[in-house]
Amino acid sequence: MSVSGAQLGVAMKWWGEGVGRSASAQLSRVARMRRALLLLAAAACTAAALLYWRQQSDDAARRPLHALYTGVEPQWSWVCRNLRCERLLASETSTLQSLATCNMLCDSTQLWPQPTGPVSLATAVQPVRAAGFTLQVLASPSRDVSDHLAEAFELMKEDMRQLERTAEPERRAADYGAPRDVLVRVAVNGSADPRMRLDTDESYKLTLRPARNSLVADITAHSFCGARHGFETLSQIVWMDPYAGSLLILEAATVVDAPRFSYRGLLLDTARNFFPTAEILRTIDAMAACKMNTFHWHVSDSQSFPLRLDSAPQLAQHGAYGPGAVYSPDDVRAIVRHARLRGVRVLLEVDAPAHVGRAWAWGPQAGLGALAHCVELEPWAAYCGEPPCGQLNPRNPHVYNLLERIYAEIIQLTEVDDLFHLGGDEVSERCWAQHFNDTDPMELWLEFTRRAMQALERANGGRTPELVLLWSSRLTRSPYLERLDAAHVGVQVWGSSRWPESRAVLDAGFRSVLSHVDAWYLDCGFGSWRDSSDGHCGPYRSWQQMYEHRPWTEEAGSLSSGAGQAWRVEGGAACQWTEQLAPGGLDARVWPRAAALAERLWADRAEGAGADVYLRLDTQRARLLARGVRAAPLWPRWCSHNPHACL
Amino acid sequence: MGSDQLDAVNGTSGLNPKKWRFFLELYVIMTMEYSSVLLITIRASMAGLCRWALLAIAAVQLVACSENVVEEVVAHTYEPSWRYKCIADEGCERTTHPSSELASNASSLVFNSLDVCRTVCGRFGGLWPRPITAAIGMQTVKIHPNYLRFDLQNVPADALSLMVEMTKLVGPNLLAECDGVVTDMVETPVVVYLNVKSADITLTWSTDEEYMLDVQTKEDQISVHITATTIYGARHALETFAQLVASDRPDFSDQHSCSLLLVSGAKIRDRPTYPYRGLLLDTSRHFIPMEDVLRTIDGMAANKMNVFHWHVTDTHSFPLESTRVPQFTRYGAYSAKEIYSAEEVRKLITYAQVRGVRVVIEIDSPAHAGNGWQWGPEYNLGDLAVCVNQWPWRHLCVQPPCGQLNPANQAVYRVLGDLYKDIVDAVPAPALLHMGGDEVYIECWNTTEEITEYMKQQNYDSSTTEGFIKLWAEFHSKALKAWDEAVEAAGTPKQPVMLWSSELTQAARIAQNLDKERYVIEVWEPVSSPLLHQLIKLGYKTVSIPKDVWYLDRGFWGTTKYNNWRKMYAHTLPRDENFLGGEVAMWTEYIDEQGLDTRIWPRAAAVAERLWSDPTASVYSAEPRMQRQRGRLIKRGLAADAISPAWCSQHDSKCF
Repeated sequence: MSVSGAQLGVAMKWWGEGVGRSASAQLSRVARMRRALLLLAAAACTAAALLYWRQQSDDAARRPLHALYTGVEPQWSWVCRNLRCERLLASETSTLQSLATCNMLCDSTQLWPQPTGPVSLATAVQPVRAAGFTLQVLASPSRDVSDHLAEAFELMKEDMRQLERTAEPERRAADYGAPRDVLVRVAVNGSADPRMRLDTDESYKLTLRPARNSLVADITAHSFCGARHGFETLSQIVWMDPYAGSLLILEAATVVDAPRFSYRGLLLDTARNFFPTAEILRTIDAMAACKMNTFHWHVSDSQSFPLRLDSAPQLAQHGAYGPGAVYSPDDVRAIVRHARLRGVRVLLEVDAPAHVGRAWAWGPQAGLGALAHCVELEPWAAYCGEPPCGQLNPRNPHVYNLLERIYAEIIQLTEVDDLFHLGGDEVSERCWAQHFNDTDPMELWLEFTRRAMQALERANGGRTPELVLLWSSRLTRSPYLERLDAAHVGVQVWGSSRWPESRAVLDAGFRSVLSHVDAWYLDCGFGSWRDSSDGHCGPYRSWQQMYEHRPWTEEAGSLSSGAGQAWRVEGGAACQWTEQLAPGGLDARVWPRAAALAERLWADRAEGAGADVYLRLDTQRARLLARGVRAAPLWPRWCSHNPHACL
Repeated sequence: MGSDQLDAVNGTSGLNPKKWRFFLELYVIMTMEYSSVLLITIRASMAGLCRWALLAIAAVQLVACSENVVEEVVAHTYEPSWRYKCIADEGCERTTHPSSELASNASSLVFNSLDVCRTVCGRFGGLWPRPITAAIGMQTVKIHPNYLRFDLQNVPADALSLMVEMTKLVGPNLLAECDGVVTDMVETPVVVYLNVKSADITLTWSTDEEYMLDVQTKEDQISVHITATTIYGARHALETFAQLVASDRPDFSDQHSCSLLLVSGAKIRDRPTYPYRGLLLDTSRHFIPMEDVLRTIDGMAANKMNVFHWHVTDTHSFPLESTRVPQFTRYGAYSAKEIYSAEEVRKLITYAQVRGVRVVIEIDSPAHAGNGWQWGPEYNLGDLAVCVNQWPWRHLCVQPPCGQLNPANQAVYRVLGDLYKDIVDAVPAPALLHMGGDEVYIECWNTTEEITEYMKQQNYDSSTTEGFIKLWAEFHSKALKAWDEAVEAAGTPKQPVMLWSSELTQAARIAQNLDKERYVIEVWEPVSSPLLHQLIKLGYKTVSIPKDVWYLDRGFWGTTKYNNWRKMYAHTLPRDENFLGGEVAMWTEYIDEQGLDTRIWPRAAAVAERLWSDPTASVYSAEPRMQRQRGRLIKRGLAADAISPAWCSQHDSKCF
């Protein structure tokens, strides 16, 4: 090696010098150099070959005792001991078992969210293929439901195919035998409407059992949404075994399940920063994987208005960040359809009367007068919570005409007509007081809300949607709360769970959706992006905090004190405001934290974020990754490999 | 890369044979004139394939050119489209109405593209980190990367090949501004004259990174003069040059057409304040795939950071392949796929060097070593590490899994020595190693009989902390000896190694334990700690990484607090000849490749400017440039986090 190395060194040196001097060389010299180069290349090849050979023999001499890890052989095997999976060197065990398979078979169910009814799962497995799943609809109340079932079933199969694609062909064939076919029989007895509605019964029952050479799964439900939750649960007892290179399924299962809360939401703000449609679709995929059912789309705010509406195209023209940051009606329809097949409704919120901006500044030019006041007024801190400012003009009748058209188009696009969100938070009294010094701004606000509700009623064909949500605000506090239409108005409570006014809304008997800032705000903990304060919300909310927040357990106390009626908590929603979030960071910010909330709202078990929850959520995170959702890890990778050692 | 692009060009564009000939001739001419190109030619060519190699090189310059005529997009009635006005001392402000309603009496201070506005607006335009001095003109000139040439006549021969690699990064970075496709073909030649004085290509903290950059436009020819002592200075100049280019495509545009605008006149003189500007990445808590590591290096290069501190191992896993000791990965990697092969490591080091970044591998010891070290007994070497994966862990380590090297076992130093030899083989001379040295848990050693026995033999009192300190210091001196032997075997001079601050490095203790000529201390104590200043006073070379400000993982666990870019930026460091600089740390307990970019960027960029420019101006005056840098990182494929609503980036100075 030293001899050939030296030769090479000499050659290199000569070559370098030659090149150095040939700055003004002639073509003939190039030819000569080419010959030299040939020689050089030959020498280099010889040297390389020699080196390579020596390297080989050296390596062989140093090769350690274990040949086990060469190539693609897995290194670790997991064994279920004392109801926990232990990682062992593959050489120390007789059977090779992957972590995924060990987790599925050892102790805990790996279902997320945890079902609320009885669950029994086999500990024996069968290999399956995505292509081996077939659907048979035994009963369906409508053609629409049947079509939805067929499509949702295909989505489940596509997820399985996605898993199959991660298998590496060179893996050893499984010891699990030939793959079984799975016949999935579905019976829906109930709603003929496949949409997720306030009264949708989402319960389902899943049974899976072996039958001759195949498996038969029976799913019964009272709605399409219930049945698709059944598909979701079925897909969670199917997993990819990386060592076998095959999908496996538990060979028998019974799951009886229904959600504890009917509203399980996730809010995404697409106004502070714009998120392309693909990001929204993927977010809905993740929601579906966690059986969340409401995508609360906070589409507009004072910063931008990215929604192009046929009824008022001026809003996006004056309000969008640019032509590439616009959702067309077709985009919205695509999102709505994507969501519908996954048991998710799209709740599209155009916030009003505050949280509006430049999008509404075209009124005077169009001869409609001022649609909004205080738009981008400075100093912003005097007129709004964050820059830029803006508030609708409550005295301009054109505002309500526009709202009516907007609301009608939203209802038509989302096909949600029993639930609506008016926004309605953080009105600056000072802004309105500047323009209307004859009236109490709170009265203006009440008046605005009343007229917006009328616009909504007209937009919805003369019927007020069953539940019209408003953000909690000064308006939802006494003495104004009492003046709201309790029959239809519900309150999305975003204040801290410790604030008395947050409780007062519940005590007053209003239907409510909880989004407590101290537990379920996903945007908290990233410091202040504007100069004024150190951020409107405190530290980062961990998934454990999100999971363990159960404000409704305090209801008993309030009842005994005779404060009011029983709380009417419809459910909750995690809120992802996006002042400091843009595409690229969305998934890891939201997931798996929103999944933690999903289980809280679905199962609401008394237990906190204990060992079982860690394990199951870790598995759920792996499922999300497999579906292309870039969820953040819960803990170091070693802890996933040695789950009980980190708890 | 070359051949791919050749295919792409052949496959898609209507580049006619005449054009090909042009390039061919051009390169032949260049071959005549510049020894540099000849060098590449010879390198790439085998025997008579010279011509093809020439074509391939031509193709490198010809990235993704398309001559397809883009259909004129008819302005939609309700297309939102904004323009931006450069306002002195404030930045770029969006016009109040969509431009379709504006009369086209645009002054030279109004731009369709926010990026172009930022590039020319303000004293330092869109440059990040801020240079020492800059004069940037308001005029721009349209360019195309295909017509970018590098004159390498004044680059010393020994530095030439690396310099050529560095120049190859400019084209792709420019193209990235147009998302890969520059639709507007202009033939204005841009010739970059590189003048490098030194042939030295070693990258250390005494490397001169200063450069001068001069852009001039004369009669349809753009000359860019770069003068630097080393190629690393020249590389930084190329980065700055790339930052003088912006796309004319409006913000949030949906239009396909895109052309590049270069500032037509600029004069910049620049050098870093601190020689050590680092980023630490932990690849043990989570394995970070190599492509993500490489992308992180791209981000560092864009910010002129120059040290990639690779915390490659820890108790959790050992993903670094050692050809001499393959047991490390076999017992320590998460899986066969989650290993950095020796080949990949070599490629990473070269990749980084081309981007002006030095890779400093850290083999943390004696603590933070566990998985990967369990095989001793099986090979009759005894326990190389103790307390490995022991449970309960509370008293034995800072977090599960536990593990500490066994200083009583002399085989440990032999094994370390072999590992060190692999590292010396991999990194460019002079080899620099980070030996770790933090968070030793005495209780772990104290509960191991073999170790307490050994201490008895050595006369170390195992009933006092000082006894263990002696043992700990002994470990480091033996490990250093093993390192020195590895370095000597490679025939390069002895170098200092890096070590974390710890109980061992306390001001009262350090002098008797660690030689200041041999150790550089990386101080991670919080800002409130006096240690950094004490060590500087004692004459130790130091690097600062204050955990309460510059740790990127903070704010997601325990009671730690997140620091946004403004806070990271606001932290300042001492100036002293013994003080080398600082770095940010990405520990990966709660992050893996899924969220890596957003966690690191753009916050690391904020620290990069602190370390490069150490500006006295407020963080607010940096915000417009930071917005631009964030956008630039995104264009180059790094998912940098948002620092504000997009509205604020369209309205500089309106969000304070």
